[in-house]
Parts: sequence; C-alpha cells; structure tokens
Amino acid sequence: MDLKIITAMGAKIEELQKMAEEIIKLGKGIQAVERNGVRLLASIKMLELNVCDVREVL
Amino acid sequence: MAQKQSVYWNPLLETLPREKLQALQLKKFRRIMEWAYKNSPFYRALYKSAGIKPGDIKTMKDVAKVPTLDKGMLRDVQTRPPFPYGDILSVPLEKVTEFRQTSGTTGTPVYQADTWQDWEWWAECWSYILYAQGYRKTDRVFIPFGYNIFVAFWAGHYGAEKLGCEVVPGGVLDTEARILKMQELKCSAFMATPTYVLGMADTARRMGIDPAKDLFIKRITCAGEPGASIPTTKKRIEDAWGAKVYDHIGATEIGAWSYECLAQSGGLHVNEAFFLVEIQDIETGELIEEPGRNGKMIITALDREAKPCIRFDSKDVIRWADYTCDCGRTFRLIDRGVVGRADDITKVKGVLLAPTAIEEVVRSFSELSDEYEVVVTKKGDIDDILLKIEIRQGSEGKKEDILNRLKDQLRVKTNLGYKMEVHPFGSLPRYDVKAKRFKDLRKKEG
Repeated sequence: MDLKIITAMGAKIEELQKMAEEIIKLGKGIQAVERNGVRLLASIKMLELNVCDVREVL
Repeated sequence: MAQKQSVYWNPLLETLPREKLQALQLKKFRRIMEWAYKNSPFYRALYKSAGIKPGDIKTMKDVAKVPTLDKGMLRDVQTRPPFPYGDILSVPLEKVTEFRQTSGTTGTPVYQADTWQDWEWWAECWSYILYAQGYRKTDRVFIPFGYNIFVAFWAGHYGAEKLGCEVVPGGVLDTEARILKMQELKCSAFMATPTYVLGMADTARRMGIDPAKDLFIKRITCAGEPGASIPTTKKRIEDAWGAKVYDHIGATEIGAWSYECLAQSGGLHVNEAFFLVEIQDIETGELIEEPGRNGKMIITALDREAKPCIRFDSKDVIRWADYTCDCGRTFRLIDRGVVGRADDITKVKGVLLAPTAIEEVVRSFSELSDEYEVVVTKKGDIDDILLKIEIRQGSEGKKEDILNRLKDQLRVKTNLGYKMEVHPFGSLPRYDVKAKRFKDLRKKEG
C-alpha cells in the first residue's frame, strides 16, 4: 500500500484518539460519556496497532 | 469503485518484509518492557535484580538478556496484593474489566486480569486467526463452549463478531442439543477442542445424524490441544465432519498467538506483529534459529496492558518449519504446532517419549475409536507402559491383527514396547474440553 495512504490513515487515527480523550474530559462525571469513551479508546488503540505502528517502521 | 477484498485481515502487517517486521518487534518489545517497568512493581523488581532497564534493549540480541517468567512466578505473585492478581498488575485494579483463569492442568490456576483494551486486543488477535482460516461475514458460527472462567473460545466469539460473522453461543446446551441447533440453523463453522469435535461427531452418529452429510459445517477451528496439527487426528476430524480443520494455539496468560491459514502448509503462522516468539534449547538455553530443531518456547505478548506477559517460558516444545507457506504472509511458521511440553516429554525405559507421538499412531488406525489412554508405572526399577484402546464395533474380529500392527508401529515411532488392553467400545473416559489421556504414575508411586 502507498506510504502516503498509510501516513494519512495514521494521522486520522491520532486525531480520533485526541478527540475521544477530549470528549471524555468534557463529559467528566457523565458515566455514559466516560465509559463509552473508554471503549472508543480501546477500539482506536487497535487501529494504532494495525496502522500507526507499521507507519513508524516503513 | 469497490476495491477487491484482501485475503489478509491486515496486509500491512501480515506481509511486512522480515527486516521491517523485526524492527517493529524490537520497538514493541521495548515499549511493553517500559510499560511493565513503569507500572508493575513485580516487573520492576525482577529487572532491577537482573540489572537491566528497558533502555538497555537496543538490538534483538539484547532481548535474550531480559529475565524470563514462568508459571511458578505467576502463581507466587498472586499471594501478594492487590487481590487476586498480585503486584504484576500494571493498571489500577478499577481498570480491570475481565477475569479469567488458566485450567490448572499443571497446578494452581493462574488468574488473568484484562482491561477493556486487552479484551479488544484478544478479539483482534482472533480476527487474524479466523480471517486467515476463511471465516467471513457470511458465516454463521456456532460456539459449543461453556462460557465460563476459562478464556478458551470467549475471544473466538468476539473475534468472529468483529469479522461480521453471525455468532451462535452454544453455552449451556448439552452436546445433543448443540448438534440439533447447528443443524436447525445451518451453521457453517464452529470452534472447539479436537477431543470435543470428535466426541460431537460420535454423539451425532448415535443420534442418527451424519455430520458430513446432514450438517452444513465447512470449517472447524480447533484449539486447546495439539490434535489438529497431528495429521492422523486432523484427517479423522475432517472425514467425520466433511469439513476443513484448522489449528490455532493460544494460552490465557499469553494470548492467541498462532494459527494455521487456508494454504495449510503443515505449519502454523506466529502472529509476529503481536507476539515475539523465541525458541530455546531445553538443556542449554541456547537460542535456536535454525528450522527443525525442537526447543521450548519463550514468548512475549507485545501489547498486553493489565498483566504484561514478557519472555514467558511456556514449556511448550516447538520448532521452526523448514518450509514456507504459499499464502504470502511473512510471519514465520512453526512446524506442526506445539509438538509437546517440556514437562510432558518424559523418559520411559530410558527413551524420550512425547505423548503426541502415541496419538499420531493410534489415530492412524481406522479400526480404533477416538479414545485411548496411556498409563506409565514403575515396578522396581523397570518402567511399564500400558496403552488402553477401544476397537470400533464391526472390527472386533480383527483384534489380534490390529494389536500386532499397532505394537509394530508404536515401536517404530517411539522406540518403545507397550502392553495393550482392549476396552469395550465407549468405556474409556470422554472429555468435553482438554483430555487427560497420558497418566504418568511413577512419581506418585515413588
């Protein structure tokens, strides 16, 4: 796959992670936001393992 | 325009050139070691006593300097707080969302903590396995598993869901009810231990159902025992079900680390993007890189959060394959899966014996049932090895011929002579999960 696409995906995944963290921060005290935020971060982590980690060794 | 679907779950990792894959493993090894050093008092003390820090790991050769971990250490650490995991825990207890434990086959069970991220990771590892074995979103997958404290097929369930399969949990149904449900729903795949897969076929036949003709199973994933990588056992299962059988190896404290793919080269791929496997000579501890030489596995799960598994001495005996796979994955192959356990391979009459060698011979006899039992005893200074078998109905008349051929083949394969005991068909123990067919009574007697 084109390195440019992998890099672009990696950047978007990092944005997602930041956004999820911001949502959790904004919703602090609201369990429905905090706990769903944790699940979201776990899914984003899988994208990091599958894409961002590769980007760094290419 | 729709893009052609890849044959890989993640082509970026599964076809990564070897040198880049090794660079990734080194980077991830340092990362998990740093994580454990920073967050787990147990690991920090272990590494401090060995005089090593994560920053000391600069090449793959440095990895071998890191102390190994064994099951005894995992049991000991559980006696310390926080309850029930001990200070190996690398996250605050309130981040743990999953409890599992090992089966306790070799002693006190080990408790396993996982966060939600770890659970996503389990499902991700299983997604690699199932996708490589041909599972797709069109599959209806039956899980004939008790959904209990053992991780077993829990993660297989979540992995199949992640792929988009329709998953049918077989939970507390008994074997007959499971077979009927699989038939009613026209399930296309299922996963279980090889012992249970064979047992299900027996039960189905007793119910008047021929699994190969009356059910709709196309693929079966086996785990928990070495059977699906033993050619004679694999053939028995494939013949019984009229389906392809794929092996997978995993462990509670490690993760789902290895899998057979559709190309079925004879070996199992190590998911080297998520795990680092080293093979050590059992006697000397020397690292084995060449194919074909047995050694014990030292394994690291590279991404586990709550309870990192770093250089774990699993006692599994494996060897690198001296052949490649046509599937295009760059992940290395281990030949025929786990060929034994360092603590199972035992000397009988002065000869090294791996119980899997007996299984391979017994399962090559179509006149014998799927069950057998091996009992090793000691009389005075002399070891005695007894093989209990069942002859299938209709073949009893050929008993003497069968026993003579069986003795001959066992001698050729294992260099040992056996006493034989023929038991009535259906009388030897049947197992639902892991079988205990090899009984070494010498230590108890001594």
